[in-house]
Amino acid sequence: MSTTNAKELWSGGDSPFKVSYGKIMMWYFLISDTFTFAGLLISYGAIRSSQPKHDETNPLSWPDPNHVFNAGPGFHHAPLVFVTFMTFTLILSSVTMVRAVQEGHYMNRAGVLKWMALTILGGLVFVLSQAWEWTHLIHEGMTPSSNPFGAYSFGALFFLITGFHGFHVSVGVLLNSWAFIQTYRGVFDRRGHYEMIEKLGLYWHFVDLVWVYVFLAFYLF
Amino acid sequence: MSTLSREESKKRVWRVCGILALVTIVEIAAALIHYNYMEDSPKTFLNILFIILSAGKAYYIMSEFMHLKYELKPMVISVLAPFLFLIWGVIAFLWEGKYWLSMKQFWDVLN
Repeated sequence: MSTTNAKELWSGGDSPFKVSYGKIMMWYFLISDTFTFAGLLISYGAIRSSQPKHDETNPLSWPDPNHVFNAGPGFHHAPLVFVTFMTFTLILSSVTMVRAVQEGHYMNRAGVLKWMALTILGGLVFVLSQAWEWTHLIHEGMTPSSNPFGAYSFGALFFLITGFHGFHVSVGVLLNSWAFIQTYRGVFDRRGHYEMIEKLGLYWHFVDLVWVYVFLAFYLF
Repeated sequence: MSTLSREESKKRVWRVCGILALVTIVEIAAALIHYNYMEDSPKTFLNILFIILSAGKAYYIMSEFMHLKYELKPMVISVLAPFLFLIWGVIAFLWEGKYWLSMKQFWDVLN
């Protein structure tokens, strides 16, 4: 590298990773958020492994997810069906988000609007599904301090962790709605790029990524 | 943006969507088969399978959806390196949890 080049690099304005400032900061925020979620999920693991394993004869043992999560709107005794629907909703809304980002690269405002609308819809369906599931479980008697299915800490951890994830989804829906309005008003067209959609895309995929592990910890293990 | 053409990147997105959906179906199917037909057998092998499949899903989401695969290598390292701490975290705290359980059993203060 020549001296002039080096000087230019050190004079600012260049990203060492050829990624824009906003996107790098979103990545680093997501890393810190990963550690928050990891802290919660690792606490879940530690508390769970300090409780007796699932055992029909012990009412205080760790509950079986197939017993706890076996209902959906209008149906019962169907283990994991409703959560599968929720997982697919989140995966699909991640896909529509990627499509919005791609259309943004080609400055296709109509395309961005269409795919963002579908992403927002997917997020809303997910949050409402979770609201239904919470309501159902609370009616069954599961609260942060009680759990008819077994160890009470299961209820506390479930509401804490899915609540924190649901909060992230809700924030994502609000931010995506805001970006939808900005796109509709042509703000990003005037700016000359759709980087805001990319940054929100990173956040939205992160929410999907966290769900993979929440799903693993609560519904599969 | 990567060097992929518009059509190629579109196709790739739907392919990754298919992979994620398929892996989720396999996970659910494995969980339900275990629940319905072999509930008395230990879940250890199944849990290892779930961990591997979830790591696979995480790989596809990060590399394709979050576009990490197409970034420069130092960027990828700076994002992924901190996660090494989590491997330690998971092992250390599960170990600790098991110890709490054995202490509770020893002093007979379970529940």
